[in-house]
Amino acid sequence: MAMPRFNFWTVVMILTWVLLFVLLFIPVGSVLISSLYDQSGNFTFANYLKFLGEPRFRQAFLNTLVVGFGGLFGALLLGSIMAFCVSRFAIRGGRFVSLLAILALVSPPFIGAYSWIVLFGAGGVVRGFLRDLGISMPPIYGVGGILIVFSLKFYPYVYLMVSGALSNVNRSLEEAAEGLGLTPLQRTFRISFPMVFPALTASGLLALIHAIADFGTPRLLGRGYNVLATEAFTLYSAEVGSNMSMATTISVVLIVVSMVFVLLQRYMSRRNVYHGNMINKPARIQLKGWRNVLAHFAVYFIGLCGALPVIISVIYSFRKTSGPVFQQGFALQSYERILFNLGDVVRNSLTFSFVAVALIVMIGTVVGVLVARRTNLNTALLDGAFMVPYVMPGIVIGIAFIAAFNTGPIVLTGTAAIIILSIFIRRLPYTVRTTASSLRQISPSMEEAAISLGYSPFQAFLRITVPLIVPGIIAGGMLSFVTAINELSSSLVLYVGSTMTMPVRIYLLILDGDFGVAAALSTILLLLSGCAVYIAFRFMGRNEQALL
Amino acid sequence: MSYLVVTDAAKQFGPSFMALNGVSLSVERGEFFTLLGPSGCGKTTLLRAIAGFNDLTSGEITLDGSNLRVVPPHQRDIGMVFQDYAVFPHLSVFDNVAFGLKPRKVPAAQIKTRVTQALEAVRLGAMAERLPAAMSGGQQQRIGLARAMVINPRLLLMDEPLSNLDAKLRIELREEIRDIQKQVDIATIYVTHDQEEALAISDRICVMNSGKIEQIGTPQEIYGNPQTRFVAEFVGTLNIFQPGAALDAMLGKLGLAHAGAATWAVRPEHLDLAGPDSDGNGSATLPGTVSKYTYLGREAHVQVETPAGRLVVQLPNPGMAATREAGEAVSVLVPRTAPMSFSANGARMGG
Ligand SMILES: Nc1ncnc2c1ncn2[C@@H]1O[C@H](COP(=O)(O)OP(=O)(O)O)[C@@H](O)[C@H]1O
Ligand SMILES: [Mg+2]
Repeated sequence: MAMPRFNFWTVVMILTWVLLFVLLFIPVGSVLISSLYDQSGNFTFANYLKFLGEPRFRQAFLNTLVVGFGGLFGALLLGSIMAFCVSRFAIRGGRFVSLLAILALVSPPFIGAYSWIVLFGAGGVVRGFLRDLGISMPPIYGVGGILIVFSLKFYPYVYLMVSGALSNVNRSLEEAAEGLGLTPLQRTFRISFPMVFPALTASGLLALIHAIADFGTPRLLGRGYNVLATEAFTLYSAEVGSNMSMATTISVVLIVVSMVFVLLQRYMSRRNVYHGNMINKPARIQLKGWRNVLAHFAVYFIGLCGALPVIISVIYSFRKTSGPVFQQGFALQSYERILFNLGDVVRNSLTFSFVAVALIVMIGTVVGVLVARRTNLNTALLDGAFMVPYVMPGIVIGIAFIAAFNTGPIVLTGTAAIIILSIFIRRLPYTVRTTASSLRQISPSMEEAAISLGYSPFQAFLRITVPLIVPGIIAGGMLSFVTAINELSSSLVLYVGSTMTMPVRIYLLILDGDFGVAAALSTILLLLSGCAVYIAFRFMGRNEQALL
Repeated sequence: MSYLVVTDAAKQFGPSFMALNGVSLSVERGEFFTLLGPSGCGKTTLLRAIAGFNDLTSGEITLDGSNLRVVPPHQRDIGMVFQDYAVFPHLSVFDNVAFGLKPRKVPAAQIKTRVTQALEAVRLGAMAERLPAAMSGGQQQRIGLARAMVINPRLLLMDEPLSNLDAKLRIELREEIRDIQKQVDIATIYVTHDQEEALAISDRICVMNSGKIEQIGTPQEIYGNPQTRFVAEFVGTLNIFQPGAALDAMLGKLGLAHAGAATWAVRPEHLDLAGPDSDGNGSATLPGTVSKYTYLGREAHVQVETPAGRLVVQLPNPGMAATREAGEAVSVLVPRTAPMSFSANGARMGG
């Protein structure tokens, strides 16, 4: 068959590579180059030697691994407990529990950290209350606090993925194992565990990568507990003695660390691809007595703790304030202050996110079609190249964009474009992947049927394939919107006064101790995210896994 | 000249693999023509070449005298029914069937009557407004059939349309397909790997094997007079005699001899059983012992070890008395007309 679209797709292919080159390879290359040159422009490994030599950096590296694996195990523990209880036992209000998990997932970053400070910090509400009762507990600062926040923030990844996998384990397998005389515990470990292992490693990886990349939480809760992300930001943003080449060196280390874990996870789950069949779905057991109480307690405790930051910030956003200090009673002052002083921040966030999402949807869809339909070496490479932004922490993307677009042929620093593009490139792979995979699920004979009925190939694509993938694309766009509008770390590096976004403002407000306005801004952010998630679910059905 | 003519069709995949290797056939107007062969023999490749979804490496296809290979697939006016139904899930049953009438600029009123007629024909009249997603496989394939038929195509192609359905529905639907095809009188090429289906449904069958045609003929010719060993084995079952003194003696008794015959074979249903001392009554006899008895209701298969090899004998309507125990001594009766011989390259001799 002649390919009337040949030229179009060749152009798309070339443009895609150009796009990747400009927005990905040049920034990453600039980071690498910058890390290999000293201030006066000579090639050197001095930065890396300094990284290895200076105790402060070594400590940051170690701390990064600690919070990474701590977050990983915490999330695995909480998430698995919840997934197991919800998918195997009859839990009242299962949908509500999932909603709590979604809340934790879409809550603005680091607002969690601050809410925990409000409750358990030096002047924390709960701590104060307990002290009145004669119970004294240490404040939540430091590594312990970071790990608690990470566990509660990232457990939804594990919960959603593992419960999906658990409900696909064919019950016949477990029954067969029972027939062979395995005890329930043995069954769990020998049959169910291997089946959900890929979901465990994949969701654990997500938790790990997000924990390593997270900047706000260690910054607010750490109190001197430094990690690579905070070090990179400090080095970059220090007003005196900003050290770009050291910041880029740390960025390279961060990329490498993330990459190693992605590869490790792929290696670990390489053989474990199980396709569950739905014929014999596992049933939920109705527990009795104290077991039932325990299961409900565990599920609701985890769910509510995870959603607590959101609840706290919604409540605090309505509290009466006098300046930054909270007063008794409720009022709309915080919202008034946003309305009168921070309108442009909200507007910036909305504009940037909408533009970024529009670009992501348009370009991501076309490239997704390319990847799915024109399979050759080139598209396989493209698929691989799209993995790169996935492992780049936001801080690193920010620093990379500064390194690439501060001087040289394209100068973008200080513009809205640089923030939009940084969001765009990070989220593009997601759309490409989901488009490609939903296209691969549509049988090619569907378009062929239309062609045999008299439609040209392009019309067949337009009338059959497009309507089938559009709901998924809209849903994906909405979820990209959630990520876009909540993005903190890259924007923090890239913003200037006129391009400040809501997360950046919230971060600065918290640093200033103005929690009322921060809480109100967070609530607005949450509302916007909630609407986007709701629309997404309307279009593709309630599918929590798509949030990951 | 025939309606559809394929001449010397060849299709190469990769550097050397030939999915089609010199295929020539012709289909008449209104004919139900079946491509039969094992999976991977090139049936789909040939069908898709006719539909235009992949071009031949070389060869010619003409429809009603004009070259089809230069016509883009959407202008060929060839209806197609797919193995996976390919029903459009976002369109109602009615809109699915009406889909092909739109580019043909059929007036709305006529669309309505034609679609309604087509849906009646496939017995889906009551479901026109439903979405196909929740419908059964059989119903979805009926939509596919109505959708392909309603455009009055010049040719109808079906690629294993029933292979995803369960056995009973398969038989039911194949009868319907056959009846509808006769009514609308559109030349149809039907692909299947199921020999029983091919025999039941076709005017003529083309048996294919690794990119080549083995034999083209009516169901009776294909089954009753296979021209190659492959056809004889693929369509129906075959006992192959073990060469040796016992076979030679049997052939001598029957007065059969074909110079150069490499293999002698016989169909199980042409054999019969008798007591151990039977004289055969005109048939040759082979003494043997029963090694297995399989009761299948309508028939029974008795496996007998004889000096000319292991033979399966098919007994029709087996009653209680027909039951044979393993180890029982019997004679296998071989009538004179039963044995078939094939040359070393598999061609039928003296058939
Ligand atoms: N696009 C292709 N590329 C390479 N080989 C193919 C392609 N399509 C089919 N084949 C090969 O051609 C042979 C015939 O395929 P096909 O016509 O689909 O067989 P059938 O329909 O008879 O089962 C098979 O061996 C198949 O693997
Ligand atoms: Mg096939």
